[in-house]
Amino acid sequence: MRYLLLAYIDEKAWAELGEAEQSRVRAESQPHVQNLSKTGRFISGAGLRPTSTAVTVKVEGGKRLVTDGPFAETREQLGGYALIDANDLDEAIGIAGLFAQRSFPATIEIRPLMDGAGAHPDAPVQGEAR
Amino acid sequence: MKYMLLTYLDEKAWGELGETEQERVISECNPHIENLLKNGKLLAGAPLHPTSTATTLRLQDGKRLVTDGPFAETREQLGGYTLLEADNLDEAIAIAGKFLGRSFPTAIEIRPIRDFPGTPSH
Repeated sequence: MRYLLLAYIDEKAWAELGEAEQSRVRAESQPHVQNLSKTGRFISGAGLRPTSTAVTVKVEGGKRLVTDGPFAETREQLGGYALIDANDLDEAIGIAGLFAQRSFPATIEIRPLMDGAGAHPDAPVQGEAR
Repeated sequence: MKYMLLTYLDEKAWGELGETEQERVISECNPHIENLLKNGKLLAGAPLHPTSTATTLRLQDGKRLVTDGPFAETREQLGGYTLLEADNLDEAIAIAGKFLGRSFPTAIEIRPIRDFPGTPSH
């Protein structure tokens, strides 16, 4: 089963770390990424640029409305994602726990992907042949 | 440049549509998706199971704390994601706008991606 891990961080505190320290914290996850990739558990992942670069679009009264900023203001902000393959939720939690153990705090939301029928039936799911 | 689209919808209203109507709404996007795939703009994407299946994990005082539910309760809920390749934000907005043309309302958050060296983003 595939799970999307959504990592929330205090992006202000993260920015204040500075580039060098950010790289150091990021590198803490690398051994996990490598190990999990070897066993096919880690499929893909990336960071998101800060929410100051986010834009949200919706339709209101038949008109397209574009606003700056994320969909919801939250105490911590979505800062990255990882797509993993795990046998069950317990294993997914175990993997998320590895990523949470960095020296910079993050909260990780774990969401199972819908297989088969879904919003993008023809779209390649990450990690599949494309 | 790569962009992540995060699609928010009222998952209660979505659930109430029923399977047949959900499939009909989903199929409204198909021509759009086919075009994007042809042009190499659509890299990946999938719908997510409802937030009732979400689990959130954090560390507190060095201890792992696992709670049921999403990170944040929101009026609409994250229902799927799409990873795009677009020339710039304007193009990403235009592509997102087409997904909004469905007969079921959604809001789409667009976030530029920062690739990590050595890690596939899709």
